[in-house]
Amino acid sequence: MIDFARVQKELQECGKDVEGSGIRVAPKSDATLARLVGTIPGPIGTPYEGGVFQIDITLPDGYPFEPPKMQFSTKVWHPNISSQSGAICLDILKDQWSPALTLKTALLSVQALLSAPEPDDPQDAVVAKQYLKDYQTFISTARYWTETFAKTSSRGIEEKVQKLVEMGFPEAQARTTLESVGGDENLALEKLCSG
Amino acid sequence: MEDYVSVDSDDDYDYLYYDDGTEDGGDSDRLEFAETKADADSQSVNVKVITRESLLAAQREDLRKVMDVLSLKEHHARSLLIHYRWDVNQLLSGLVEKGKDKLYAEVGVTILEHRDLVSSNFSSSKAKKSTVLCEICFEKVPTNVATTMDCGHVFCNTCWTKHFIVKIKGGQSRRIRCMAHKCNSICDEEKIRMLVSTRDPILAEKFDRFLLESYIEDNKKVKWCPSTPHCGNALRIDDCNLCEVECACGLKFCFKCSSEAHSPCSCQMWELWSQKCRDESETVNWITVNTKPCPKCLKPVEKNGGCNHVHCICGQHFCWHCGRPDKFHGGYHSCGRYTEDEQKTRNAKRDLQRYMHYYDRYKAHKHSSELESKLQKTMKKKMSELEAREITSKDYSWATEGLNRLFRSRQILSYSYPFAYYMFGDIFGSEMTKQEKVIKQHLFEDQQQQLEAHVERLSSFLEAPFNEYPDNEVITLRMEIINFSTVVDKLCRKLYECIENDLLGCLTRTSQSIAPYMSNGMDKASEVTDCKGL
Ligand SMILES: [Zn+2]
Ligand SMILES: [Zn+2]
Ligand SMILES: [Zn+2]
Ligand SMILES: [Zn+2]
Ligand SMILES: [Zn+2]
Ligand SMILES: [Zn+2]
Ligand SMILES: [Zn+2]
Ligand SMILES: [Zn+2]
Repeated sequence: MIDFARVQKELQECGKDVEGSGIRVAPKSDATLARLVGTIPGPIGTPYEGGVFQIDITLPDGYPFEPPKMQFSTKVWHPNISSQSGAICLDILKDQWSPALTLKTALLSVQALLSAPEPDDPQDAVVAKQYLKDYQTFISTARYWTETFAKTSSRGIEEKVQKLVEMGFPEAQARTTLESVGGDENLALEKLCSG
Repeated sequence: MEDYVSVDSDDDYDYLYYDDGTEDGGDSDRLEFAETKADADSQSVNVKVITRESLLAAQREDLRKVMDVLSLKEHHARSLLIHYRWDVNQLLSGLVEKGKDKLYAEVGVTILEHRDLVSSNFSSSKAKKSTVLCEICFEKVPTNVATTMDCGHVFCNTCWTKHFIVKIKGGQSRRIRCMAHKCNSICDEEKIRMLVSTRDPILAEKFDRFLLESYIEDNKKVKWCPSTPHCGNALRIDDCNLCEVECACGLKFCFKCSSEAHSPCSCQMWELWSQKCRDESETVNWITVNTKPCPKCLKPVEKNGGCNHVHCICGQHFCWHCGRPDKFHGGYHSCGRYTEDEQKTRNAKRDLQRYMHYYDRYKAHKHSSELESKLQKTMKKKMSELEAREITSKDYSWATEGLNRLFRSRQILSYSYPFAYYMFGDIFGSEMTKQEKVIKQHLFEDQQQQLEAHVERLSSFLEAPFNEYPDNEVITLRMEIINFSTVVDKLCRKLYECIENDLLGCLTRTSQSIAPYMSNGMDKASEVTDCKGL
């Protein structure tokens, strides 16, 4: 019941502006459009700057009349994102969702959330407490997590291969594709997805 | 562009409303409010029963008030009323406080001031602009298959319909907002009905039902009758914090917690008790209260009347509560009292015993009142036999009133045991000092036992075969029954007062309260069933 025609159009629309926004959306596999991977660059001037964050997207049957389910697969230190599961606390992904929003606008909102945390309505109580009580430590922890988990160059090739295998690509193909794009996970993913 | 709002009436949804007559509000007998007031008690409240049929009328009454005062369309009035939980007065004071614009924006009511102008503009531009881009499906569609809401947002009918279906199925019929991002406007229910019914007529009917039922579910003053299978009624009460009511179907329930009427046990205590009974009944199989062994011959004896003194075929009398042989039939006894020596056993066993002590008595009185309801039939027979005789007084209200007093006081006794179990148990008892608890428990048990003894006496008098008595003995019995009924009534009132003021009133950590004592029974939400016509 998912409106795949609309999802297709959304992907095309989003693809046109990757340069401008840095936001990408791609299917996890060729099999279905119901499971996607979104990528957002960490906003400049935040401890997330320089990082590239991946978000697992699952479309419910009622999409776009029901909100997409989004979850960080890249570990991130943020009051409104679970440091354990990557669950995101964002109103537009819940009751404030509108069918007029798109995956791209939703990802833009997630990106905006990285710039402007709302510690009073936390998803991760530990992070929120640190944010309010010891802001400096929060900043350095968030930056450390960005360095460790969200920077392509910092991740070992094996880990990236493993990740692509988990997404459903054959290991050998994942490895050669990764090598061909110089280890850039996102480029490799795009290449793998486009066939 | 054909905006659906200009389609003024459609047979598809006319079934919802009453025929012509009701629309002008003059058909008052359609309002099936059976309105009664409990007689003597000053405490009595106004209870109305709302049947499925009158639900719409009751709702329309409140809608009409708001539509008239604010000159609004029905779906706008409904949105405002749902926001204020169907309290017209609160809505009107909210309006004064916040002002129209702020309130409407908050609730999501968008009024088109110049609808005619807008639609004429639309029709003139129709020729130029015959398609519109739907921003949901990204398709260009002809304007005649797109719909504009009050807020001015326009999307294609297919998308609107899908949106409505998701919302209705998600249980959000009462507040379906526009699809545009950050548009708080509530969608016009006529347009929703129209679009959904072409795709899924059954769901459109459900939508109407949900809207109707919001009147009950979102309404502070109205509750569904908790009967199963459901009788279809809801009750409406003005000004009730805590009271017990009787539905037209006969079910008596607590208006606060919607479970069976349970005073003089508080709502919280009753909930704990019901849960405990459910838990215990699964593990322990001692809830067979129908027979008990005779203390003399050990044969199982079945209880055959409401009286708690039973007679075995061997001739032995014994107390159903405690199994103690007791030859004074109906005499005063104190077996409902919980003695301290019984507490000397080990904890777990003690707790179970304590529970069983209270449970047995709770159940015994429940059981008695079930058996006593059979008394009604025999009573009727006895009275008709007396009526056939030449006797000075033909007034037998003493018998029926005595019987009603017996039923009510049995219930009270029954629920006084779960109350005592919790009041003097670990959960609430710890809010008192040990000494305080002992004193209060004695105070309570004295009253409870006094009431119990009198109830048993009343029960035995009413069981007497007075239709076979000579006239002078009938007159004596009549006096006894009248006297005992009066005393039982007073004792019940005293027990309620003691519980509310001296016992629950002294709890500091929790706030417990009970429904007030109703001497003449609960407020009934229908014509009073005439006890005299038994
Ligand atoms: Zn559309
Ligand atoms: Zn709108
Ligand atoms: Zn009922
Ligand atoms: Zn209650
Ligand atoms: Zn016997
Ligand atoms: Zn007896
Ligand atoms: Zn006894
Ligand atoms: Zn006893």
